[in-house]
Amino acid sequence: MSDTDDTDTLLRRCADGDRIAFRALYDHWAPRMHGIALRILRQPSLAADATHDAFVQVWQQAHRFDPALGSAEAFLISLARYRALDIVRRTAREVPGYESEEQEDESPDALSRLVTSSEGAALQRCLQRLEAERRRMVVMAFVEGLSHGDLAKRLRIPLGTVKSAIRRSLLALRACLAS
Amino acid sequence: MSEPDDADALAAEYALGCLDAEAMHDAALRVSRDPAFARAVAAWQTRLMPLAALVEPVALPPDMWDRVNRATAPGTGTVVPLRRVRFWQASTAGALAIAASLAAVMVLRQPAPEPPRVAVLTPIANGTPVLLATTAPDGRLFIQPSGAISVPPDRDLELWALAKGEAKPRSLGVLPPQGRAFVATTPMDTQLLVSLEPRGGSPTGQPTGAVLYAGTLTRVN
Repeated sequence: MSDTDDTDTLLRRCADGDRIAFRALYDHWAPRMHGIALRILRQPSLAADATHDAFVQVWQQAHRFDPALGSAEAFLISLARYRALDIVRRTAREVPGYESEEQEDESPDALSRLVTSSEGAALQRCLQRLEAERRRMVVMAFVEGLSHGDLAKRLRIPLGTVKSAIRRSLLALRACLAS
Repeated sequence: MSEPDDADALAAEYALGCLDAEAMHDAALRVSRDPAFARAVAAWQTRLMPLAALVEPVALPPDMWDRVNRATAPGTGTVVPLRRVRFWQASTAGALAIAASLAAVMVLRQPAPEPPRVAVLTPIANGTPVLLATTAPDGRLFIQPSGAISVPPDRDLELWALAKGEAKPRSLGVLPPQGRAFVATTPMDTQLLVSLEPRGGSPTGQPTGAVLYAGTLTRVN
């Protein structure tokens, strides 16, 4: 199952109470959602809680999915991310002097992994147009779930600078993706 | 910055995930109350979604599905005994037609050494076909769905019998989508379960996947 239509269909069947569709959705998407939660939370037990809660929400909130508003993939991924972000914001993750051991994902080479779909290719093209540091902030915020404050500490940049840089970057992305 | 731009930027920050706890909480509330904001957030989620491809999938803890399954299907794993009146109410037209035809077959047979029994295996959630199980006088168990049941190509449905007082169900075999007859001895009040298993049936001899249907064989008369 790689097709958007399939995920759409399965999600709609979940909304109709179809347990088989729910299991198929779980088999395909839960490992991805778990990877995303683990990257944000870094602790397997917390990530397992986030993935569990997110998938329970998939079942409970499937009826809220509206294909006119966004993709089914985004609906699923977002449930996992919000759950993980909610946990991470309530859990002290940062220890003084802590530095991420993983920087390679922000390299232009890593961004080439986005090009598995036309949407990914467009996003990659638009990200490449951003200044390197701004691009890095956007990618780190999404992938690692870093807040404005986390980014300011990590990159040793004033908080206000981080906030305005991200906001400008996002609006530039919107304009670029619409073009 | 104009107000619509401001709202869209906030939606973008929320979808990106860079807000602090309090701002994130406020934005989540606004999603539930402000449809225009919810639309903006959904659009941003879709714009940013390709970034998820930067993260590799991670194998799930082995007990994860059981936990999710339990949390989403309160009836799963526990069998709800069905009284006859409930069976007629719960049945779809298709199930009624099957019941009528099977009843006719049973009447034409020799006087029954064993009283006919029937169970409707109701789906744990609504919206999917029901399964109708009936016993013939010779003890054979017939099971038939009221409509097409869709099963992923790498999966099979497996039928299980759980005798009253027993802890472990016994496999009655893989259930083809069109249903079939099973040669099985089923004591009174046997509970029937249908689980989703790897193709060919459970590798362990016990249900490993979600229990999708459950019902109890009950005497008709």
